[in-house]
Amino acid sequence: MTTHDELLDNVAAYALGVLPPAEAATIEAHLQTCEQCRAEYAYLRPAVTAVAYSAEACADASSGAVATSPLLKARIMRQVRSEAASVRPARLRLAPAYAIAAACLAIAILAGLAAFTLNLQLHREIAQNALASQTIADLTSPESRRYTFAGGEVVTNADRLYITMRDLAPPPPGRIYQAWTLAKGAKRVAPSVTFAPGQGGVAVVRIPQSAANVAAVAVSVEPAGGSQQPTTKPIALVEI
Amino acid sequence: MERIRARDARAFEVLYDQYHRLVYGVAFRVLSDAASAEDVTQSVFLKIWSDPARFRDGNFGAWIARIARNRAYDILRSRALHAQDELPETLPVEDAVEETALANISGERVRLALEQLPPEQREPIELGFFGGITHEQIARNAGLPLGTIKTRIRSGLRRLRAALQETVTV
Repeated sequence: MTTHDELLDNVAAYALGVLPPAEAATIEAHLQTCEQCRAEYAYLRPAVTAVAYSAEACADASSGAVATSPLLKARIMRQVRSEAASVRPARLRLAPAYAIAAACLAIAILAGLAAFTLNLQLHREIAQNALASQTIADLTSPESRRYTFAGGEVVTNADRLYITMRDLAPPPPGRIYQAWTLAKGAKRVAPSVTFAPGQGGVAVVRIPQSAANVAAVAVSVEPAGGSQQPTTKPIALVEI
Repeated sequence: MERIRARDARAFEVLYDQYHRLVYGVAFRVLSDAASAEDVTQSVFLKIWSDPARFRDGNFGAWIARIARNRAYDILRSRALHAQDELPETLPVEDAVEETALANISGERVRLALEQLPPEQREPIELGFFGGITHEQIARNAGLPLGTIKTRIRSGLRRLRAALQETVTV
């Protein structure tokens, strides 16, 4: 077998998605320069997609997968219809959780402005209010990107990153919610901020990591003080 | 997709009806767990609803199947946070945009074509696609040299491609 035959075999393995990241990167670079391998990849990719279709769930479960629950469709469509209805009157959309959060933050800003006195807390309040204003602007901006999951959204605007959750129960005693971020290309999540929901079960959390470098955000319940690695199954996991 | 971009819930429902079995089926085969497969299905479709511009053009089935598989792999990764095994690289979804060959092929037709492959070619392909493991792990599990597994994957994919091409053009 020649070296190039081996490369063509690697192209097939890459098309199937079974190469570890380092080898996948090597093949990707090779595909940029080798027309024969590019043609092989283009030929094989549809066959790989076809393998996905072999898993298509059937009513008779002949693929090995059971049929999807009608409740699943109802759940998805309920959210879709509510968002479709809320967006119709105007381009600017405020989900209920955001509306509550935005109102709270607006009150906080007004309260902060009312307390505008020359005291030692002045600079800190200005900074907090600026942060709150930025948060409101980002959460309500039509330019922001939204990644919905059951129970909330991850929102990005430029390099700023937020996770908002609604109907979130208070954490059990001695526990706290903790956000995690998966950096692009990383295999392990990194710990981020801890938080608890406010009144009404709404949490609006600014995640300090840059949205540009984050591939996914997760939330899990952790011991108070946070963890270095998740110790429980994530209650939310959102790919950006 | 234009109607979905315009926030048309009815258009989204039609899309869901057409593709949810594919998304759920891929997730179920990867995760072997109905509840997790439903989570993936919900996550994939709500992502499309919230950001339909992510799909540009081309084979929508290929694109959404790629997203479903990557999302299911993410869950495998989150389950394996403490494990040392290396997981394969997920493929870029943008790649599926140009993939228009074999569009609209049925699951039944592919299952028949896969059954025609020799088991030594079919098994590493299915294990590789749905198993979330690397070619090295496939070779280790089969007790075969890595080169043999890679060659069988390529031969199997070429044979599958040719068989499906025939059924499409007849």
